[in-house]
Amino acid sequence: MEIRQTEEDHFITLQPKGELDANSSVQLDSVIRKLVDAGKVNIHVDFGGISYISSAGMGVFISYLEEIQALNGKIVLSHMSESVYDVFDLLGLNQLISIVSDLQAAKKEFVV
Amino acid sequence: MKVSLEVPCSKLSLAIIREYVRERLRSLNVSGKTADQIILATDEACSNCIIHQHQCDIYATIELYIYREDTTLYVEIKDTGKAFPLDSYQPKEIPQIVSSGQKGGLGIRLIQTLMDEIKIEERQDFFVYKLGKHLPLIN
Repeated sequence: MEIRQTEEDHFITLQPKGELDANSSVQLDSVIRKLVDAGKVNIHVDFGGISYISSAGMGVFISYLEEIQALNGKIVLSHMSESVYDVFDLLGLNQLISIVSDLQAAKKEFVV
Repeated sequence: MKVSLEVPCSKLSLAIIREYVRERLRSLNVSGKTADQIILATDEACSNCIIHQHQCDIYATIELYIYREDTTLYVEIKDTGKAFPLDSYQPKEIPQIVSSGQKGGLGIRLIQTLMDEIKIEERQDFFVYKLGKHLPLIN
């Protein structure tokens, strides 16, 4: 899976591309782990390139929620297709994770 | 004619499985959100077999068979491993999963939410997960 990484003033944007399943989610998990370990806990994930997500993909985000919150950070997801959003909605995970429309909205989420 | 797919128990097989299910659903005139839901549930059930039952042993295989009976679409997954009680397992609640920091635990809940029928048929040398989805009238 290709995961582009961009560092902004006070958050990191990840742009994974492809299908986020039990195979590819391992790679995304590894990237997020490195960021968190480096103290970079404001993470924006642009879902514009994600056409599919399974529970393994969602599990990556869920597993970091409490750890990142404890470090005063935040995970924000954006540019989600309707079919991918439906999967988050199905389990009520859209109530636990910030999901916004675009980069501008994501930036507002990180405003101190 | 029976069309089926047999794949090795590798996580790399999951993309092949999804493509096979997508194609079969198209040929059976199942599309849209219903198709997306069946693809996801099948992916979750196969991931469970491949990762948890077989520990990604590429020498083991699972077999898929998809067919339609009137207004119900069936996915059958034939496996030689030990059957997991997909039909009766009570997954952890979401807040419990979040507080534990674990990555797994959502897949079974998804299967149980997305599919209308979940059965396990045990035979002598193998078992079959039989997942049924009632199709909307538009299909």
